[in-house]
Amino acid sequence: MEKHMINVPSVEGFARPRTRRDFFKALAVAGVGAAAGSAVLSRPAFAQGGGGDLDIGNFALTLEYLEAEFYTRAVDSGVVSGDALAAVINLREHELAHVDALTGLITQSGGTPVAKPTFTFPPDTFSSQASILSLAGTFEPVGVGAYLGAAPMIQSPDVLAAAGSIAGVEGEHVVTINNLNGVVPPANTPFPAALMMDEVLAAVAPFMGMGSMPSTGGVAQSSGRSIRL
Amino acid sequence: MDGAESRASLVGFDREHSRRDFLKTAGWVTAALSAAGFGGVALASRADAQEAAYTTYQGLGDAAILSVAYQLELLEGNFYAAGVDSGLFTDDFSVSQLAAIRDHEFAHADAIAGVLSSLGAAIPEPNLVFPPDVTADAATFLTYAATLEPVGIGAYQGAAPALVDKNILASAISIHNAECQHWNAIKILQGIVPPNNVAFEEPLPLQTVLEAGAPFGITA
Repeated sequence: MEKHMINVPSVEGFARPRTRRDFFKALAVAGVGAAAGSAVLSRPAFAQGGGGDLDIGNFALTLEYLEAEFYTRAVDSGVVSGDALAAVINLREHELAHVDALTGLITQSGGTPVAKPTFTFPPDTFSSQASILSLAGTFEPVGVGAYLGAAPMIQSPDVLAAAGSIAGVEGEHVVTINNLNGVVPPANTPFPAALMMDEVLAAVAPFMGMGSMPSTGGVAQSSGRSIRL
Repeated sequence: MDGAESRASLVGFDREHSRRDFLKTAGWVTAALSAAGFGGVALASRADAQEAAYTTYQGLGDAAILSVAYQLELLEGNFYAAGVDSGLFTDDFSVSQLAAIRDHEFAHADAIAGVLSSLGAAIPEPNLVFPPDVTADAATFLTYAATLEPVGIGAYQGAAPALVDKNILASAISIHNAECQHWNAIKILQGIVPPNNVAFEEPLPLQTVLEAGAPFGITA
Protein backbone atom coordinates (compact mmCIF):
# COMPACT_ATOMS: atom_id res chain seq x y z
CA MET A 1 0.00 0.00 0.00
CA GLU A 2 1.14 3.50 -0.76
CA LYS A 3 2.35 5.42 2.24
CA HIS A 4 2.41 9.17 2.24
CA MET A 5 4.83 11.03 4.40
CA ILE A 6 3.87 14.33 5.87
CA ASN A 7 6.46 16.62 7.34
CA VAL A 8 4.93 18.04 10.43
CA PRO A 9 6.72 20.90 12.13
CA SER A 10 7.97 20.10 15.59
CA VAL A 11 6.51 22.07 18.47
CA GLU A 12 9.59 24.26 18.44
CA GLY A 13 9.45 24.64 14.70
CA PHE A 14 5.83 25.57 14.89
CA ALA A 15 6.39 28.25 17.50
CA ARG A 16 9.21 29.70 15.46
CA PRO A 17 8.73 28.67 11.85
CA ARG A 18 11.83 29.13 9.75
CA THR A 19 9.71 30.93 7.23
CA ARG A 20 6.02 30.90 6.64
CA ARG A 21 6.65 29.44 3.22
CA ASP A 22 8.40 26.41 4.73
CA PHE A 23 5.56 25.91 7.12
CA PHE A 24 2.91 25.98 4.42
CA LYS A 25 5.01 23.78 2.19
CA ALA A 26 5.23 21.13 4.89
CA LEU A 27 1.51 21.16 5.45
CA ALA A 28 0.69 21.20 1.77
CA VAL A 29 2.19 17.74 1.41
CA ALA A 30 -0.84 16.41 3.19
CA GLY A 31 -3.09 17.69 0.47
CA VAL A 32 -1.23 16.61 -2.60
CA GLY A 33 0.52 13.39 -1.63
CA ALA A 34 -2.17 11.02 -2.80
CA ALA A 35 -3.39 12.83 -5.88
CA ALA A 36 -1.63 10.77 -8.51
CA GLY A 37 -3.23 7.80 -10.17
CA SER A 38 -6.71 6.40 -10.40
CA ALA A 39 -8.76 6.27 -7.25
CA VAL A 40 -10.62 3.24 -8.40
CA LEU A 41 -9.91 0.05 -6.51
CA SER A 42 -6.43 1.26 -5.76
CA ARG A 43 -5.92 2.66 -2.33
CA PRO A 44 -8.00 1.47 0.60
CA ALA A 45 -7.55 4.58 2.69
CA PHE A 46 -10.42 3.46 4.86
CA ALA A 47 -8.68 0.29 5.97
CA GLN A 48 -7.38 2.16 8.96
CA GLY A 49 -9.39 0.95 11.90
CA GLY A 50 -11.53 3.53 13.61
CA GLY A 51 -14.13 3.47 16.31
CA GLY A 52 -17.47 3.72 14.58
CA ASP A 53 -19.67 6.51 13.34
CA LEU A 54 -19.60 8.55 16.56
CA ASP A 55 -15.80 8.68 16.62
CA ILE A 56 -15.73 9.58 12.95
CA GLY A 57 -18.32 12.26 13.62
CA ASN A 58 -16.26 13.76 16.41
CA PHE A 59 -13.15 13.60 14.27
CA ALA A 60 -14.98 15.54 11.56
CA LEU A 61 -16.38 17.97 14.14
CA THR A 62 -12.86 18.75 15.32
CA LEU A 63 -11.79 19.56 11.77
CA GLU A 64 -14.86 21.73 11.22
CA TYR A 65 -14.16 23.60 14.48
CA LEU A 66 -10.64 24.27 13.22
CA GLU A 67 -11.84 25.55 9.86
CA ALA A 68 -14.64 27.61 11.40
CA GLU A 69 -12.22 29.32 13.80
CA PHE A 70 -9.70 29.91 11.04
CA TYR A 71 -12.23 31.63 8.76
CA THR A 72 -13.84 33.52 11.64
CA ARG A 73 -10.46 34.99 12.53
CA ALA A 74 -9.77 35.61 8.85
CA VAL A 75 -12.95 37.68 8.48
CA ASP A 76 -12.27 39.50 11.76
CA SER A 77 -8.70 40.31 10.73
CA GLY A 78 -9.89 43.06 8.41
CA VAL A 79 -7.17 42.29 5.87
CA VAL A 80 -9.38 40.37 3.42
CA SER A 81 -11.34 42.42 0.90
CA GLY A 82 -13.33 42.32 -2.31
CA ASP A 83 -14.30 39.00 -3.89
CA ALA A 84 -12.02 37.20 -1.44
CA LEU A 85 -13.93 38.65 1.51
CA ALA A 86 -17.26 37.51 0.06
CA ALA A 87 -15.85 34.01 -0.37
CA VAL A 88 -14.27 33.91 3.10
CA ILE A 89 -17.49 35.07 4.77
CA ASN A 90 -19.30 32.17 3.09
CA LEU A 91 -16.51 29.80 4.08
CA ARG A 92 -16.98 30.86 7.70
CA GLU A 93 -20.76 30.43 7.48
CA HIS A 94 -20.49 27.00 5.85
CA GLU A 95 -18.00 25.67 8.38
CA LEU A 96 -20.15 26.96 11.25
CA ALA A 97 -23.16 25.26 9.66
CA HIS A 98 -21.15 22.04 9.42
CA VAL A 99 -20.24 22.34 13.11
CA ASP A 100 -23.92 22.70 13.98
CA ALA A 101 -24.94 19.82 11.73
CA LEU A 102 -22.32 17.44 13.12
CA THR A 103 -23.06 18.48 16.70
CA GLY A 104 -26.74 17.73 16.14
CA LEU A 105 -26.00 14.47 14.37
CA ILE A 106 -23.70 13.21 17.15
CA THR A 107 -26.13 14.23 19.88
CA GLN A 108 -29.12 12.64 18.20
CA SER A 109 -27.13 9.47 17.59
CA GLY A 110 -26.62 9.18 21.35
CA GLY A 111 -23.05 10.46 21.42
CA THR A 112 -21.32 13.38 23.08
CA PRO A 113 -19.91 16.02 20.77
CA VAL A 114 -16.30 16.96 21.52
CA ALA A 115 -15.76 20.41 22.97
CA LYS A 116 -14.15 22.97 20.73
CA PRO A 117 -10.38 22.61 21.15
CA THR A 118 -8.05 25.53 21.66
CA PHE A 119 -6.36 26.23 18.34
CA THR A 120 -3.03 27.82 17.61
CA PHE A 121 -2.07 29.45 14.33
CA PRO A 122 1.39 30.37 13.12
CA PRO A 123 2.44 33.97 13.75
CA ASP A 124 1.47 36.33 10.91
CA THR A 125 -1.25 33.97 9.65
CA PHE A 126 -3.83 36.74 9.83
CA SER A 127 -1.55 39.59 8.79
CA SER A 128 -2.35 39.51 5.08
CA GLN A 129 -4.92 38.20 2.64
CA ALA A 130 -2.21 36.21 0.88
CA SER A 131 -1.15 34.33 4.02
CA ILE A 132 -4.77 33.57 4.91
CA LEU A 133 -5.54 32.23 1.43
CA SER A 134 -2.32 30.27 1.40
CA LEU A 135 -3.19 28.45 4.62
CA ALA A 136 -6.77 27.96 3.39
CA GLY A 137 -5.26 26.25 0.35
CA THR A 138 -3.72 23.66 2.63
CA PHE A 139 -6.70 23.23 4.94
CA GLU A 140 -9.36 22.52 2.37
CA PRO A 141 -7.81 19.48 0.64
CA VAL A 142 -7.14 18.00 4.09
CA GLY A 143 -10.81 18.40 4.94
CA VAL A 144 -11.83 16.77 1.67
CA GLY A 145 -9.34 13.96 2.19
CA ALA A 146 -10.57 13.31 5.72
CA TYR A 147 -14.17 12.88 4.60
CA LEU A 148 -13.20 10.76 1.58
CA GLY A 149 -11.03 8.54 3.75
CA ALA A 150 -13.69 8.14 6.43
CA ALA A 151 -16.73 7.64 4.19
CA PRO A 152 -16.29 3.91 3.50
CA MET A 153 -15.97 3.25 7.26
CA ILE A 154 -19.32 4.85 8.07
CA GLN A 155 -22.01 2.33 8.96
CA SER A 156 -25.17 4.43 9.04
CA PRO A 157 -26.50 5.46 5.62
CA ASP A 158 -27.87 8.66 7.18
CA VAL A 159 -24.46 9.59 8.54
CA LEU A 160 -22.87 8.72 5.20
CA ALA A 161 -25.42 10.91 3.39
CA ALA A 162 -24.52 13.79 5.70
CA ALA A 163 -20.79 13.24 5.25
CA GLY A 164 -21.15 13.22 1.47
CA SER A 165 -23.14 16.44 1.57
CA ILE A 166 -20.47 18.20 3.63
CA ALA A 167 -17.50 16.67 1.78
CA GLY A 168 -18.80 18.02 -1.51
CA VAL A 169 -18.96 21.54 -0.08
CA GLU A 170 -15.36 21.22 1.10
CA GLY A 171 -14.53 20.26 -2.47
CA GLU A 172 -16.17 23.44 -3.68
CA HIS A 173 -14.08 25.35 -1.17
CA VAL A 174 -10.90 23.88 -2.64
CA VAL A 175 -11.77 25.36 -6.04
CA THR A 176 -12.86 28.74 -4.67
CA ILE A 177 -9.56 29.05 -2.79
CA ASN A 178 -7.52 27.80 -5.75
CA ASN A 179 -9.12 30.49 -7.87
CA LEU A 180 -8.36 33.23 -5.34
CA ASN A 181 -4.78 31.93 -5.19
CA GLY A 182 -4.45 32.24 -8.97
CA VAL A 183 -4.32 28.50 -9.67
CA VAL A 184 -5.31 27.83 -13.32
CA PRO A 185 -7.46 25.88 -13.83
CA PRO A 186 -8.88 25.95 -10.31
CA ALA A 187 -10.67 22.58 -10.65
CA ASN A 188 -7.76 20.35 -11.54
CA THR A 189 -8.19 16.96 -9.85
CA PRO A 190 -10.18 14.13 -11.48
CA PHE A 191 -10.07 11.97 -8.35
CA PRO A 192 -9.76 14.03 -5.14
CA ALA A 193 -7.58 12.08 -2.75
CA ALA A 194 -8.63 10.26 0.39
CA LEU A 195 -6.34 10.68 3.36
CA MET A 196 -5.56 8.17 6.08
CA MET A 197 -6.69 9.20 9.52
CA ASP A 198 -3.11 9.48 10.76
CA GLU A 199 -2.27 11.72 7.81
CA VAL A 200 -5.10 14.04 8.74
CA LEU A 201 -4.08 14.00 12.38
CA ALA A 202 -0.51 14.81 11.47
CA ALA A 203 -1.65 17.73 9.34
CA VAL A 204 -3.83 19.29 12.03
CA ALA A 205 -1.73 18.44 15.09
CA PRO A 206 0.30 21.65 14.99
CA PHE A 207 -2.88 23.71 15.18
CA MET A 208 -3.88 21.87 18.32
CA GLY A 209 -0.61 22.51 20.09
CA MET A 210 0.68 19.02 19.43
CA GLY A 211 4.01 18.54 17.78
CA SER A 212 3.73 14.87 17.02
CA MET A 213 0.98 12.34 16.76
CA PRO A 214 0.68 8.58 17.08
CA SER A 215 0.68 6.62 13.83
CA THR A 216 -2.95 5.61 14.19
CA GLY A 217 -6.13 7.28 15.33
CA GLY A 218 -7.44 7.19 18.86
CA VAL A 219 -5.98 8.90 21.88
CA ALA A 220 -3.41 11.51 20.97
CA GLN A 221 -0.97 12.50 23.66
CA SER A 222 1.21 15.50 24.09
CA SER A 223 2.79 16.99 27.17
CA GLY A 224 0.73 14.86 29.50
CA ARG A 225 -2.49 15.99 27.89
CA SER A 226 -4.64 13.72 25.81
CA ILE A 227 -7.32 14.49 23.32
CA ARG A 228 -9.80 11.94 22.15
CA LEU A 229 -10.47 12.51 18.48
CA MET B 1 -22.59 -4.91 11.17
CA ASP B 2 -22.71 -6.30 7.70
CA GLY B 3 -23.32 -3.50 5.25
CA ALA B 4 -25.43 -5.42 2.75
CA GLU B 5 -27.59 -6.89 5.45
CA SER B 6 -28.26 -3.57 7.13
CA ARG B 7 -29.23 -2.03 3.83
CA ALA B 8 -31.55 -4.90 2.99
CA SER B 9 -33.28 -4.48 6.32
CA LEU B 10 -33.63 -0.76 5.73
CA VAL B 11 -35.52 -1.45 2.54
CA GLY B 12 -37.96 -3.54 4.49
CA PHE B 13 -38.48 -1.34 7.53
CA ASP B 14 -41.98 -0.74 8.76
CA ARG B 15 -43.65 2.62 8.48
CA GLU B 16 -43.46 3.60 12.11
CA HIS B 17 -39.78 2.81 12.31
CA SER B 18 -39.21 4.73 9.13
CA ARG B 19 -41.05 7.73 10.50
CA ARG B 20 -38.90 7.69 13.63
CA ASP B 21 -35.71 7.54 11.60
CA PHE B 22 -36.95 10.30 9.40
CA LEU B 23 -37.58 12.58 12.36
CA LYS B 24 -34.14 11.83 13.70
CA THR B 25 -32.60 12.75 10.38
CA ALA B 26 -34.89 15.71 9.89
CA GLY B 27 -33.78 17.12 13.24
CA TRP B 28 -30.15 17.55 12.39
CA VAL B 29 -30.77 18.54 8.82
CA THR B 30 -33.15 21.23 10.05
CA ALA B 31 -30.58 22.50 12.52
CA ALA B 32 -27.96 22.52 9.82
CA LEU B 33 -30.08 24.30 7.27
CA SER B 34 -31.36 26.92 9.66
CA ALA B 35 -27.79 27.60 10.68
CA ALA B 36 -27.02 28.04 7.02
CA GLY B 37 -29.78 30.57 6.66
CA PHE B 38 -32.29 28.60 4.63
CA GLY B 39 -35.94 29.57 4.94
CA GLY B 40 -38.38 27.60 7.03
CA VAL B 41 -40.71 26.61 4.21
CA ALA B 42 -38.15 24.54 2.39
CA LEU B 43 -36.93 22.67 5.46
CA ALA B 44 -39.32 19.76 5.42
CA SER B 45 -38.83 18.98 1.77
CA ARG B 46 -35.07 19.33 2.00
CA ALA B 47 -34.87 17.01 4.99
CA ASP B 48 -37.15 14.62 3.22
CA ALA B 49 -34.97 14.67 0.12
CA GLN B 50 -31.84 14.00 2.17
CA GLU B 51 -33.24 10.76 3.51
CA ALA B 52 -35.46 9.69 0.66
CA ALA B 53 -32.73 10.00 -1.96
CA TYR B 54 -30.57 7.00 -1.07
CA THR B 55 -33.51 4.71 -0.42
CA THR B 56 -34.43 5.06 -4.10
CA TYR B 57 -31.11 3.43 -5.07
CA GLN B 58 -31.23 0.61 -2.52
CA GLY B 59 -31.67 -2.82 -3.97
CA LEU B 60 -30.52 -1.79 -7.45
CA GLY B 61 -27.08 -3.24 -6.97
CA ASP B 62 -23.74 -1.59 -7.61
CA ALA B 63 -23.59 -2.47 -11.32
CA ALA B 64 -26.97 -0.87 -12.10
CA ILE B 65 -26.00 2.28 -10.21
CA LEU B 66 -22.65 2.45 -12.00
CA SER B 67 -24.34 1.91 -15.34
CA VAL B 68 -26.27 5.16 -14.88
CA ALA B 69 -23.17 6.92 -13.55
CA TYR B 70 -21.17 5.79 -16.58
CA GLN B 71 -23.77 7.27 -18.96
CA LEU B 72 -23.79 10.55 -17.02
CA GLU B 73 -20.00 10.76 -17.27
CA LEU B 74 -20.07 10.06 -21.03
CA LEU B 75 -22.72 12.74 -21.41
CA GLU B 76 -20.67 15.25 -19.45
CA GLY B 77 -17.43 14.37 -21.24
CA ASN B 78 -18.99 14.82 -24.66
CA PHE B 79 -20.77 17.96 -23.53
CA TYR B 80 -17.51 19.61 -22.40
CA ALA B 81 -15.72 18.38 -25.52
CA ALA B 82 -18.38 20.19 -27.57
CA GLY B 83 -17.85 23.30 -25.48
CA VAL B 84 -14.09 23.26 -25.92
CA ASP B 85 -14.41 22.57 -29.66
CA SER B 86 -17.11 25.20 -30.18
CA GLY B 87 -14.70 28.12 -30.27
CA LEU B 88 -17.04 30.03 -27.95
CA PHE B 89 -14.32 30.21 -25.34
CA THR B 90 -11.02 31.79 -26.26
CA ASP B 91 -9.35 32.96 -23.04
CA ASP B 92 -6.81 30.63 -21.45
CA PHE B 93 -8.64 30.43 -18.15
CA SER B 94 -11.94 29.23 -19.62
CA VAL B 95 -10.38 26.89 -22.17
CA SER B 96 -8.03 25.27 -19.66
CA GLN B 97 -10.81 24.79 -17.14
CA LEU B 98 -13.33 23.34 -19.60
CA ALA B 99 -10.68 21.06 -21.10
CA ALA B 100 -9.71 19.86 -17.61
CA ILE B 101 -13.33 19.10 -16.75
CA ARG B 102 -13.75 17.27 -20.08
CA ASP B 103 -10.71 15.14 -19.28
CA HIS B 104 -11.96 14.46 -15.75
CA GLU B 105 -15.35 13.27 -17.01
CA PHE B 106 -13.78 10.90 -19.51
CA ALA B 107 -11.39 9.65 -16.81
CA HIS B 108 -14.42 8.98 -14.60
CA ALA B 109 -16.13 7.14 -17.45
CA ASP B 110 -13.02 5.01 -18.05
CA ALA B 111 -12.69 4.19 -14.37
CA ILE B 112 -16.35 3.21 -14.08
CA ALA B 113 -16.15 1.11 -17.25
CA GLY B 114 -13.28 -0.75 -15.66
CA VAL B 115 -15.31 -1.48 -12.57
CA LEU B 116 -18.33 -2.56 -14.64
CA SER B 117 -16.08 -4.99 -16.51
CA SER B 118 -14.67 -6.36 -13.28
CA LEU B 119 -18.24 -6.92 -12.08
CA GLY B 120 -19.03 -8.79 -15.31
CA ALA B 121 -21.63 -6.16 -16.18
CA ALA B 122 -22.32 -4.74 -19.64
CA ILE B 123 -20.93 -1.32 -20.48
CA PRO B 124 -23.85 0.78 -21.79
CA GLU B 125 -23.69 2.39 -25.20
CA PRO B 126 -26.17 5.25 -24.96
CA ASN B 127 -27.23 7.25 -28.01
CA LEU B 128 -26.45 10.65 -26.57
CA VAL B 129 -28.55 13.57 -27.73
CA PHE B 130 -27.76 17.24 -27.13
CA PRO B 131 -30.20 20.12 -27.38
CA PRO B 132 -29.60 22.10 -30.58
CA ASP B 133 -28.78 25.29 -28.68
CA VAL B 134 -26.18 23.73 -26.38
CA THR B 135 -23.35 25.71 -27.97
CA ALA B 136 -25.48 28.68 -29.10
CA ASP B 137 -23.33 31.03 -27.04
CA ALA B 138 -21.02 30.91 -24.04
CA ALA B 139 -23.68 31.86 -21.52
CA THR B 140 -26.08 29.19 -22.76
CA PHE B 141 -23.36 26.55 -22.64
CA LEU B 142 -22.47 27.50 -19.06
CA THR B 143 -26.13 27.44 -18.08
CA TYR B 144 -26.36 23.86 -19.33
CA ALA B 145 -23.15 23.06 -17.46
CA ALA B 146 -24.54 24.57 -14.28
CA THR B 147 -27.62 22.38 -14.73
CA LEU B 148 -25.76 19.17 -15.50
CA GLU B 149 -23.25 19.35 -12.64
CA PRO B 150 -25.80 19.32 -9.81
CA VAL B 151 -27.46 16.31 -11.48
CA GLY B 152 -24.17 14.43 -11.37
CA ILE B 153 -23.55 15.59 -7.82
CA GLY B 154 -27.06 14.61 -6.74
CA ALA B 155 -26.80 11.21 -8.41
CA TYR B 156 -23.54 10.22 -6.72
CA GLN B 157 -24.59 11.68 -3.40
CA GLY B 158 -27.96 9.99 -3.51
CA ALA B 159 -26.51 6.65 -4.57
CA ALA B 160 -23.48 6.56 -2.27
CA PRO B 161 -25.18 5.09 0.83
CA ALA B 162 -26.78 2.43 -1.37
CA LEU B 163 -23.48 1.13 -2.77
CA VAL B 164 -22.63 -2.22 -1.23
CA ASP B 165 -18.94 -2.58 -2.16
CA LYS B 166 -16.80 -0.26 -0.03
CA ASN B 167 -14.11 0.07 -2.70
CA ILE B 168 -16.71 1.25 -5.17
CA LEU B 169 -18.08 3.63 -2.56
CA ALA B 170 -14.58 5.06 -2.03
CA SER B 171 -14.30 5.74 -5.75
CA ALA B 172 -17.82 7.11 -6.08
CA ILE B 173 -17.39 9.55 -3.22
CA SER B 174 -14.13 10.79 -4.78
CA ILE B 175 -15.82 11.30 -8.14
CA HIS B 176 -18.71 13.03 -6.35
CA ASN B 177 -16.19 15.46 -4.93
CA ALA B 178 -14.70 16.14 -8.35
CA GLU B 179 -18.20 16.97 -9.63
CA CYS B 180 -18.69 19.42 -6.77
CA GLN B 181 -15.38 21.00 -7.70
CA HIS B 182 -16.54 21.25 -11.31
CA TRP B 183 -19.74 22.97 -10.29
CA ASN B 184 -17.73 25.54 -8.37
CA ALA B 185 -15.51 26.12 -11.41
CA ILE B 186 -18.56 26.60 -13.62
CA LYS B 187 -19.94 29.16 -11.17
CA ILE B 188 -16.60 30.97 -11.37
CA LEU B 189 -16.85 30.99 -15.18
CA GLN B 190 -20.38 32.37 -14.85
CA GLY B 191 -19.04 35.24 -12.76
CA ILE B 192 -20.95 34.27 -9.62
CA VAL B 193 -19.42 35.93 -6.53
CA PRO B 194 -18.82 34.19 -4.25
CA PRO B 195 -18.94 30.88 -6.17
CA ASN B 196 -19.02 28.87 -2.93
CA ASN B 197 -22.68 29.58 -2.23
CA VAL B 198 -24.09 26.38 -0.76
CA ALA B 199 -23.41 25.01 2.73
CA PHE B 200 -24.64 21.49 1.92
CA GLU B 201 -24.74 19.61 -1.39
CA GLU B 202 -28.09 18.13 -2.35
CA PRO B 203 -28.75 14.46 -3.17
CA LEU B 204 -31.22 13.52 -5.90
CA PRO B 205 -33.50 10.49 -5.93
CA LEU B 206 -33.00 8.03 -8.80
CA GLN B 207 -36.21 9.03 -10.56
CA THR B 208 -35.15 12.68 -10.73
CA VAL B 209 -31.77 11.71 -12.17
CA LEU B 210 -33.35 9.50 -14.80
CA GLU B 211 -35.89 12.17 -15.74
CA ALA B 212 -33.11 14.73 -16.08
CA GLY B 213 -31.02 12.35 -18.18
CA ALA B 214 -33.75 10.96 -20.42
CA PRO B 215 -33.82 13.87 -22.93
CA PHE B 216 -30.06 13.34 -23.39
CA GLY B 217 -30.47 9.63 -24.14
CA ILE B 218 -29.64 8.19 -20.72
CA THR B 219 -31.58 5.08 -19.75
CA ALA B 220 -31.88 3.01 -16.59
